[in-house]
Amino acid sequence: MSSKKNISLIIGIAIPIFMIFLIAISIYLPSLFAPAPQFNFLYVTEDGYGQNRRYGVENGALVKYEVKYPEHYTPRAARLFIHDVSRNTDQEVSFEEAQKLKLDANVKSPDGYEVVYGSREYGFFPLFFSGEYDYNTMYLKGHNASKKLELESSNDGRYYYRNRSFLGWIR
Amino acid sequence: MDKKELLKHIQSLASQQLITKDEVTSAFDAGIRGEVPDEVSRQAGISHILYYIGGAVVFLGISVLIWQHWTSLNSATKILSTLGSGIASYIAAVFLSREERLEIVSRAFYFISALVMPLGLHVTFYLAGLDTGSHGVQSIVSGILLVTFLFSYFVNRKTVFLLFNIIFGTWLFFSFTSFLVGSRPNFDWEFSAYRVLCTGLVYALLGYYFTTTSHRALTGALYGFGVLCFLGAALALGDWKPNQNWFWELVFPGLVFGVMFLSVYLRSKAFLTFGSLYLIAYIFKITSEYFAQSLGWPLVLVLTGLGLIAIGYLHFNLKRKYLS
Repeated sequence: MSSKKNISLIIGIAIPIFMIFLIAISIYLPSLFAPAPQFNFLYVTEDGYGQNRRYGVENGALVKYEVKYPEHYTPRAARLFIHDVSRNTDQEVSFEEAQKLKLDANVKSPDGYEVVYGSREYGFFPLFFSGEYDYNTMYLKGHNASKKLELESSNDGRYYYRNRSFLGWIR
Repeated sequence: MDKKELLKHIQSLASQQLITKDEVTSAFDAGIRGEVPDEVSRQAGISHILYYIGGAVVFLGISVLIWQHWTSLNSATKILSTLGSGIASYIAAVFLSREERLEIVSRAFYFISALVMPLGLHVTFYLAGLDTGSHGVQSIVSGILLVTFLFSYFVNRKTVFLLFNIIFGTWLFFSFTSFLVGSRPNFDWEFSAYRVLCTGLVYALLGYYFTTTSHRALTGALYGFGVLCFLGAALALGDWKPNQNWFWELVFPGLVFGVMFLSVYLRSKAFLTFGSLYLIAYIFKITSEYFAQSLGWPLVLVLTGLGLIAIGYLHFNLKRKYLS
């Protein structure tokens, strides 16, 4: 058998292995060199009815808005959390406590990180998507790295589409 | 007629000088190259198809049995009727393949085991409380199947094992890379397109490798799926205005013509046919993406039509000259 044919076999087997290594490196290598995130952030779960939000940030402080709901509609309780980025843990706070915080409502933190939702997962069968539809997973993304955030979800254990809202970085 | 009878018959014909050594060796060489007399090929083809349809029907039967009686069957019965059947079919195939005249039937049983074993593993993992839809479990299932059939191939170098290895290997590649990536924000649909691109390239390379081996039966299918995946992914990566990717949009015609001219070197009709089809798709895409507004839709249609005629002419000539 010619060596040219053997090369095609070697390259054919090497391509998927190389791609797996490349993916693993592209995931784990940037996180080794990315600076540790410095700023904790405030977020809220189950906030809003349509486009209306109950909480927002004005002049660096948390504010509460009046939202008019239809009759017989009971909104889910919105809960406020401070996320500690170094320990990847949450601490629930009241509105009064959160009001005392100095917030930066920019999408990007001063040290170059942002809180984003994960993308849709793509598997093998069917080819372009899988049974995993975890749209609610959020990541701390920045400096070509991303870290999965352990955040609180809905308070009644039910599935709601993208039920968290980022409010601001704590200065 | 078995092998001994055939050899005796050749010996008898040779003693009567009714057959020459060259005739025997040329018939042998033609067989090695995969050339089979039409009549024999048609009969064998029909019986092969029936074996595989039979295998698929058995798989369907097991699936329906489990689905209909899911609530009434206990865990052991569920595992036994799925994974147990898969393993039993595999063992039956091993014994059948020892007998030369039952070799083809054994392939049908390997086929049943390759279909039923994944179902059995899914049922087993599900009953163990694991999320069978997760990429982790998918990687484990495909990994187990790949190792099983790779081992089978190294023990008994049958083409059917290679086919299953390619299928399970592709499954493992997609599952494991999805497991690594999860829902990370930097990996969107382009990530999947690149995986399909790589898969296509690997299929074409393996197809080329098999041309000089006894597994050349796989070459045609590998070339077909390979070029379909490779060019499909490359076309998709070009995306659409205003999100177009200039690199892939500019490189694509080069890839298509490369594939079409490789069809001559590889003597592959799949390369030529898919190359032509993707070139047509590319012309439609580019004209409607960039020129529909500036030139006007009727003129774009005229130009596209002329482009299609040119591709048709090129396709016909290449096929007649080099592939007939």
